[in-house]
Amino acid sequence: MSGDHHPSAWGPHDWRHGAPHNSWSPFILSLGVAIFLFTLAGAFKFGEFQGWGSVPLIFVGLGVIGFSLLVWWRQDMSFGVDGEVFEPKSAGAPFQNIDIRKVAMWMFLMSEMMVFTSLFSTYMRYRFGIPNCQTVFESGEWVEGTSVTCFEPAGHLIASSWFHIAPGAINTFALIISSFTIVQALRYAKKKDMDEDVRRRKVTRYLGTTWLLAILFLTLKMIEWFVGFPLPEFLHEFNHGDSSIKSLYAEGYLINADSYQHHAYDTHYIEAHPDDYSIPEDSALYAMMQAGTHPGGHMMANIQVSATTFYVTTGTHGAHVLGGIVGLTYMTLKAARGGYTPDNAVSIEYFGLYWHFVDLVWVLVFPFFYLY
Amino acid sequence: MAHYKIMGQDPYWMNFYGLMILTLIEVLAVGADLVPLADSLGTEEKVVTLWILTIIAIPKFIMIAAIFMHLYGDEDSAILTMTALFPAFFILIMVLFVGLTHPDAASSLPDWCRPGNYGL
Repeated sequence: MSGDHHPSAWGPHDWRHGAPHNSWSPFILSLGVAIFLFTLAGAFKFGEFQGWGSVPLIFVGLGVIGFSLLVWWRQDMSFGVDGEVFEPKSAGAPFQNIDIRKVAMWMFLMSEMMVFTSLFSTYMRYRFGIPNCQTVFESGEWVEGTSVTCFEPAGHLIASSWFHIAPGAINTFALIISSFTIVQALRYAKKKDMDEDVRRRKVTRYLGTTWLLAILFLTLKMIEWFVGFPLPEFLHEFNHGDSSIKSLYAEGYLINADSYQHHAYDTHYIEAHPDDYSIPEDSALYAMMQAGTHPGGHMMANIQVSATTFYVTTGTHGAHVLGGIVGLTYMTLKAARGGYTPDNAVSIEYFGLYWHFVDLVWVLVFPFFYLY
Repeated sequence: MAHYKIMGQDPYWMNFYGLMILTLIEVLAVGADLVPLADSLGTEEKVVTLWILTIIAIPKFIMIAAIFMHLYGDEDSAILTMTALFPAFFILIMVLFVGLTHPDAASSLPDWCRPGNYGL
């Protein structure tokens, strides 16, 4: 680095003098995220909006986040100077000669890994620490009209039929396909012996497909959470005669559900629908009902913890998909203008690392939150 | 990009096919009637399902990380794999404490992880 060059922590930076070692943006970003999350959490209590008092601070948080991104942007916008692209390499061990941006992306992914690990360990802790609702129901240790605290896995609702599982299953395939399409975009962006127009079309097509699949993912998630979907008449008989698949919201699977009821925990419904449900003959509830010591009825459950772990984990993953959509929108538009060449294709690679990580997390979220 | 092939084919396509097949097996495993298998193993259907899902999730995880994220086959793959595995230590600690703070931890842990073993 030349002696008279003093890189600014606010950007822009002249990359011909090497990589800047200082930036305020991580600190400002952390502050912004803290303000945003703290005030957003304070705006709701058990799902109830607590008034407009904290809303201005939510926007202050978003503003601080936006400002930090602006600072970051000012530093990185100068990445390519006068048509030249500077890809600084790490100088010290253990990442010697590896692109600094690549190392940074992996560091970021490590921190992301810790975020999801804490969410997974929370889920495991509660899943194994709180009695399962099915177990509580079969134990007979409940009385109709009084709520019992138990863990109701979302998988009990979602994996109950092929129709319920459909959005999550399609999403799983969508994310895997999108991981593949982003790799294909990188492949064509990096390819040297290729006509520029063909490259532009192929990279745009693959990035655009990834974007569409990400949109599909969030759309199906919204359908699964809030909307549900109707079934054609010939499929009603495969859905207990019901004409639609209810959303989790409509099923009452909510973070404030302290009196949740499901027909799988209703002895009268089970007696009327023996093909759908049954009370195991070796269960305590069966024995008690046979002996006349349990009147049966509809068990009511407090499932706030199970619903919260489900929504927070899958919601955090969904927020990552949303972040990916923002990035993909920019990248697809850039690709459409012919913005990617073998010289700067690594940007797709680094975004791809993030996107594959989102897919990786889903590889674990889907079986353990949706199927099990 | 990858400088190798899988069974003589493009690694990304092969990885893609493999992931799709594993995911299909995953979904089918949940829909399948595993009660007879669970009975023969002397356990619950849910436990068998959990094992199948876990066993399938591991290769899927490795396939995405190794091939799509280039943790295999590139010059810098080794050090980046070490970097990616670094949080594994903390993950193990977390999982350990999830187990230790289980309500039944004091009374229901198997013999091999209770005092009196390993000379303790």
